[in-house]
Amino acid sequence: MTYVLNRLLSVILTLFLITLVTFAVTNILPGDVAMMIMGTQSNPEALEGLRQSLGLNEPLIVQYGNWIGGLLTGDWGTSLIFKKPIAELLAQKAVASAIIVVMSMTIALALAVPLGVWAAVHRDKWQDTVSSSASLMGVSLPDFFWGIVMILVFARWLGWFPSSGIVEPSEDFLGALRYAFLPSLALGLGLMAHLTRMTRSTMTGILGQEFIRVARAKGLTERTVIWRYALANAIGPVITIAGLQIGYLFGSIIVMESLFGYTGMGWLTYQALLNRDLPLIQATVFVIAAVVMITNLIVDLLYVLIDPRVKLG
Amino acid sequence: MKRREFLLNSTAVMGGSVLMGGFALPALAQDTPVSGGTLIWGHSETTQNLDMHQTGTASSGRVLQNIHSSIVTVDANLKVIPGLAESFEVAEDGLTYTFKLRPNVKFHNGATMTSADVKYSFERCKDPATGAVNFEVFNNVAAIETPDDLTVVIKMSAVNAPFLSRLAENGAGVIMPVDSGPTQGTNPMGAGPFKFDSYEVGTVVKMSRFDDYWDGPAYLDAVEAREITEPTTRLTGLRTGELHMINDIPLDRVGEIEGDAGLQVKKWFPLNFDFINMNHTFEPFKDKRVRVAFDMIIDKEALMQGALWGQGATTASPSFPTDAAYNKDLVQRPQDIEGAKAMLAEAGYPEGSLNIVFKATTNYPYHIETAQILVEWFKMAGVNLTIEQLTWADWLSQCWVDKDYQMTMMNFFTLWESDFLYYSVWNSKGAFNYRMISDPVIDELTEKARITVDDAARAEVYKAVQKQIFDEAHDILLWFRNGTIGAQPKVMGLDTVVHPNGSNLNFHKVWLSA
Amino acid sequence: MRRFKTTKGLIGIVLLTIIALVAILGPMILPPDAATKMDMLARRSPPTWNHLLGTDQLGRDMLYRVILGARTSLEIAVSAVLMSIVLGLPLGLVSGYFGGWIDNVLMRLVDTLLAFPALLLALTISAVLGPNVQNTIIAIGIAFTPYLARIIRGEALKVAQMPYVEAARASGTTDGMIMLRHVLPNILPAVIVQATISLAFAILAEAGLSFLGLGTQPPAASWGLMIQASRDQLDVAPWTALVPGAAVALTVLGLNMFGDVLRDILDPKSK
Repeated sequence: MTYVLNRLLSVILTLFLITLVTFAVTNILPGDVAMMIMGTQSNPEALEGLRQSLGLNEPLIVQYGNWIGGLLTGDWGTSLIFKKPIAELLAQKAVASAIIVVMSMTIALALAVPLGVWAAVHRDKWQDTVSSSASLMGVSLPDFFWGIVMILVFARWLGWFPSSGIVEPSEDFLGALRYAFLPSLALGLGLMAHLTRMTRSTMTGILGQEFIRVARAKGLTERTVIWRYALANAIGPVITIAGLQIGYLFGSIIVMESLFGYTGMGWLTYQALLNRDLPLIQATVFVIAAVVMITNLIVDLLYVLIDPRVKLG
Repeated sequence: MKRREFLLNSTAVMGGSVLMGGFALPALAQDTPVSGGTLIWGHSETTQNLDMHQTGTASSGRVLQNIHSSIVTVDANLKVIPGLAESFEVAEDGLTYTFKLRPNVKFHNGATMTSADVKYSFERCKDPATGAVNFEVFNNVAAIETPDDLTVVIKMSAVNAPFLSRLAENGAGVIMPVDSGPTQGTNPMGAGPFKFDSYEVGTVVKMSRFDDYWDGPAYLDAVEAREITEPTTRLTGLRTGELHMINDIPLDRVGEIEGDAGLQVKKWFPLNFDFINMNHTFEPFKDKRVRVAFDMIIDKEALMQGALWGQGATTASPSFPTDAAYNKDLVQRPQDIEGAKAMLAEAGYPEGSLNIVFKATTNYPYHIETAQILVEWFKMAGVNLTIEQLTWADWLSQCWVDKDYQMTMMNFFTLWESDFLYYSVWNSKGAFNYRMISDPVIDELTEKARITVDDAARAEVYKAVQKQIFDEAHDILLWFRNGTIGAQPKVMGLDTVVHPNGSNLNFHKVWLSA
Repeated sequence: MRRFKTTKGLIGIVLLTIIALVAILGPMILPPDAATKMDMLARRSPPTWNHLLGTDQLGRDMLYRVILGARTSLEIAVSAVLMSIVLGLPLGLVSGYFGGWIDNVLMRLVDTLLAFPALLLALTISAVLGPNVQNTIIAIGIAFTPYLARIIRGEALKVAQMPYVEAARASGTTDGMIMLRHVLPNILPAVIVQATISLAFAILAEAGLSFLGLGTQPPAASWGLMIQASRDQLDVAPWTALVPGAAVALTVLGLNMFGDVLRDILDPKSK
């Protein structure tokens, strides 16, 4: 219990640390949003006018204070380039990305776990090599490669899915899933590599244990042994590793969403960074960081629950 | 289906925005426009700011062109013609402009346009607090008077010959309803053929027909501008039929789409001009011989074939090709590596002694291709060129604002008004003179042009400016680049889509055949 | 079974040796302009006798580019992963071994770093320090450190509770010695496994960063740059992606095969 409280406290502390680092980093970035808005039309006077109207000339401490105050009270500011309240933008885009995160994780696990089990059961034989080679394909070529392949195969050639775009889930839930499918599939392939290996090594460890030998001795079919006994125990660590992949996933989402014109958090973050939209950068980076942090917290707690051998505190 | 293709002559320049390209000849019965349908347009860039005054980006311009109308505009020959003003007059002394507005022009909110709206719009643009990109167009405006609802009189404090032309540039001359300023960013409103419905950030801008448009209602019921920045995705969308039309076909794919009988291509030129820049505060570039030698290292035609896949035309002048001020006599220097080497040696830079860093932005991938080709040629001439890739934000920050670079390249979109072009870019006090060029001859000429009221004489002055730029090789002009639109066969009226400025798109006369 | 394992390890070693040889000897045998010479008449051409693996959009030979690119890519990837190990290993080791508040504090710091998208990190480094190979290595190295630290910490945590570690502590061995002698060797297999996967990601990271302008500057060749350049021509010239992609895949495969066998040798308990 104290461990949980401890962790919660440190989460809050870390979130605070994150706000500091976010603010510092975004203000170090050279170039400013007024210039991005005006592009090559910009001249010193017009830039100053725009900066003034955007409130960029306040001292840093004041800007930081305003931001933190806003975060806590729910006023997350306005995007300088999109001219919309950030909270509104985030809510919309976060839902969109959530769909992709869940879908891609599901796809990745659905592919990786069977593959990993197969490899573990046939350890060191050709199936093992095929399995690891297959999962490695996902990492050897970058996300955008798989993304474009998906577009070419499923959108252009087969015409089963749309090549780009996005739809509000509240308007059309099935449609929203359709638009999310190809990006999720491409992302899932990238996630597979790690998950397959993890499944394989965890399963291998478990299959060598006492209680498995006992189960086999009792006369249970190999199938039951593997899928009900072994996997049930292996699934824990695999899920925790999956949780740790969330951070990696958010990185890949940035590229993948832009490729598919799927405007979620990743796309928003990218636009913010590219355009030096400070309030938006701060908000998106903070949200992503917070989500990753909280996921790690959940993973850590699960770790404790699942593996009582691990003593902490 | 027959296909016609107009061949582009790379040295001669034809009148107007030259439209060419293969398109399927429609069956004659379908030549009559049909009303109805929603055009789905795959837009290559993200629209950000919808406030016409505040935005400087071409992406917003393309969309807002349909929502706003300007007080005056230009025809294909770049002559200023009536827009929302049905007539206009310039006084003899050039200090008073009188506009007579069209009666019964409706805004999207139902209100009728009066001179008060004109006064409001211009003053908003001029006000530094608005942060308008074109605010300096109104620098010399002393007063805006509205003697009656349909008359606007603008009094200037000094002669500003280009004023009318600058107004015809969309941002400055746009008329907005009184007090609509604060919401223009989220709900743009004007007197254009389409009214704004919604914008889902980064995804789609939806516009629908404004039935009371002063120039007659549009054919299309609505236009959906879907933002698809990834070229492959955009092309795929066109091919699957999800998109009716796309702008900006990647240069290397234009040939492929043209060869596709199931699609049509509209090419126009120029979209913009590109030029190579040398920082005049960097020691070697202070010497004219070095600059000219660098010019001689480059084979512009071959470079264009290499980096643009032939989608453009080389030019020695940045003026709009149909502008009277375009100096046809200037011919680019041909490639002469040996001559360049000799000239460099003479200037004190024998082979192997020059190391130059070329900063190119990844925002324009063909800039990176250009740079890579240049590296090879410069190597042959004994100059060691290295490339540094910069994101757009970094390029703006380092090259444009801080002038921290040695060599770079850039393009400019809609600078076709001679004063704006030559003064801003080449006058030592010009706002866009990021190469730190200080040439007294050019300074004198550009000032003189500003007060030369006679059009023909003014054109001659600008031709002299171009010659000076060329002789001194202040920059190395490369080419005009083609603009491209790809569309499904059923999209009609594409000949009218491109605004004379080469960048904005207007869907007023576009229609979808059955 | 044993024989196959040896075969797998053998294949891995052979693959890696070939790649290493190519990376080292390539620049020595081939003229330096082989990777940048443009054959404008054969732009974007599929494999032909003149150009065995095809050409890219500027007519440069893919075979030469992939050979000469090997050294650059491997240099960057190896350096970055090494850097992440140098930074992450002590972090994770100390954190996992001591546990308690040390673990808490260190992992909070790691979590903060972990929480930031690597893209932001890279963008900042590129903008502030400049886009060159060194800074690319730093960017990737720092971005990978938290992952490594966390995984090592998990392993160290487990090992630290092993009876022989307790025994060593009881017998008065210093913490330092214990970490070095007992914990480190036992977590090494996990480090190796993570390192091999990280190497694959590092090569790809270079690809992802090059659109920010970081990393190898054109016209030089690197697998990452080649992969990035293939993005806009994947549907018309797939070989521009498949050639460097295959190179990465083979390297990663070799590393994994070799790594697996190495781990099995070092840690017979993982049977």
